Amino acid sequence: MPFFNVIRWVAWKDLISEVRSRETISSMFFFALIVILVFSFSFSMDQAAARELIAGIIWVAFAFTGIIGLGKSFSAELQNDCLEHLQISPASKGAIYLGKLAANLLFMLIVEVILFPMFVIFFNLDVVEELPLLLLIFALATLGLSTVGTLFSAMTVQIRAREVMLPILLLPLAVPVMIAAVEATRGALHGDPVSLYGNWLRLLAVFDIVFTVLSFWAFEWIMDT
Amino acid sequence: MISALIKWMQRYEGWVGAGGGLCILAGLYLGLVASPPDYYQGEVVRIMYVHVPLVQTGMLAYSTLFIGSLWYLWKRDPIVDNLCHAAAGISAFFTALGLITGSIWAKPTWNTWWTWDARLVSFAVMFLILVGYLMLRTFVDDPEREARYAAVLAIVGFVDLPIVHFSVEWWRTLHQPLSFSMRGVSMSKPMLIPLGIMTVGFSLTFFYMLMVRTQMLYLDHLLTAKKGRLLSQAHLSSDVGSSPSSLSTP
Repeated sequence: MPFFNVIRWVAWKDLISEVRSRETISSMFFFALIVILVFSFSFSMDQAAARELIAGIIWVAFAFTGIIGLGKSFSAELQNDCLEHLQISPASKGAIYLGKLAANLLFMLIVEVILFPMFVIFFNLDVVEELPLLLLIFALATLGLSTVGTLFSAMTVQIRAREVMLPILLLPLAVPVMIAAVEATRGALHGDPVSLYGNWLRLLAVFDIVFTVLSFWAFEWIMDT
Repeated sequence: MISALIKWMQRYEGWVGAGGGLCILAGLYLGLVASPPDYYQGEVVRIMYVHVPLVQTGMLAYSTLFIGSLWYLWKRDPIVDNLCHAAAGISAFFTALGLITGSIWAKPTWNTWWTWDARLVSFAVMFLILVGYLMLRTFVDDPEREARYAAVLAIVGFVDLPIVHFSVEWWRTLHQPLSFSMRGVSMSKPMLIPLGIMTVGFSLTFFYMLMVRTQMLYLDHLLTAKKGRLLSQAHLSSDVGSSPSSLSTP
C-alpha cells in the first residue's frame, strides 16, 4: 500500500474505533476536569495570581491528560493481537507511526479545545483577542508531546508495568516542551507582543521537527518482531 | 566461547584501573594540598577537583552509551548491549555523585543548594533518563527486545539533552561561564594541572568499571542462556519418562 494511504488508514482506524467506543476522549476529558478542579481547590487565587500561575496549570493538566490518551493508543492494539498484525504487516513502519501520531495528536487537540473554555470559566481569564496564537501554541506543544509519546507508548505497551513506565520515560524528555509551552502561553495570556516569546515558538518547532524525524526512524526498531 | 572484546578487556583492565587509581591519588594531593586557594572562593574551590571530573565522566559515560547504542542497532551484537547496560549504570552513578557534589559546592558559593540553572537541569534530566533506562531494562522479559528498546531510549534521550540545555538557558541561568571554551582556558596553571589529572583519573576509572561490569553482564548473559538450555533439556527428558535428576548432574 502506498505510504500516505497507510498513514490515512491507520489514523482513520483509530478515529472510527474512538467514535464507536468513546473511551479515550471521554476518559481524558474527565481526568482533566478533575485535575482542573483539584488545582482550583489547591490554590485559592485572585485574578492577578491566576494570570501568573494559569499557564503552568494548563500545561500540567494537558500533559497528564495526554499521557492517558497516549497510553491507551497502543494498549488498545493488544486486543485480538492487533499489535502483532501491525508488526508483521508489510506496510512501512514509519507510515504506521505517522498514522498513530496523527490520531493521538487529534485526540489531544480535541480534548484541549474542549478543556480550554473550562479554564477560562474557572479561572476567569480574558483571552478573546489572543485565541489564534494560543491555538498555535497548543498545536505545536501537543505535537511535541505526542511525537515522543507515541514512540514510548509503542515501546511501553510491550513491557511489564507499562502504566508506570510511560510517564517516567516521557516526562523528563518533554521538559523543553513544557518550559516552552508554559512560557509562550503565559506570554500570550498576558497580552505581550509576540516578539517577546517568539523564541519559545521556534524552540517548539525545532523540537517537533527533530523528534518527528527521530521517532519516525526509531519506530522501526520498536516494532521489529 | 569467549569473545575477543572480553579477552581484550581481561588483558587490559588491571592496567587501566591502576592508572586511574594513581592519577586520582596524584590529583588529590595536587588539588587538596599543593594548589593555592581561589581568590574569590577560598578553600571551598577544592571541591571543584572532584565535582568537575565527576560530571565530565558522567557525560563521557553517556556518550559511550550513545555510541554503543547506535553500534548495537547497527550490528545487533549482544556484547555491545552488555557494554551499553554497564555504561548506563556507571553514568547514572557518576551523574548522581556530580549532582550531589555540585549541590554541596553551590551552598557556600551561590548560597543555595539548588537552582534552576541550565546545566543543573540538563544533568537532572540526564539522571532521570538514565534511571528510566535502567528501569526499562528490568521490565522487559525478552533480552533481545530489551536491548533494542534500551538503545532507542538512550539515543532519543541523548538528542534531547542539548534541547533541554538551551531551553533552560533561555529560561534562567546562574552557573558560572564554562572555564573551557573555544576562546581558550580561563584558569591558572596550578589549578588546571590537578583538574586535568583528576579528569584523566576518573575517566580511566570509568573505563575500568566499564570493563569489569561488561564482563559481569556478559557472564550473567551466558549463565542465563545455559540455565535455559539445561531447563529445556530437563523438560524434554521428563517428557519421555526418564528421571528428571539430569538437572543436578549436568
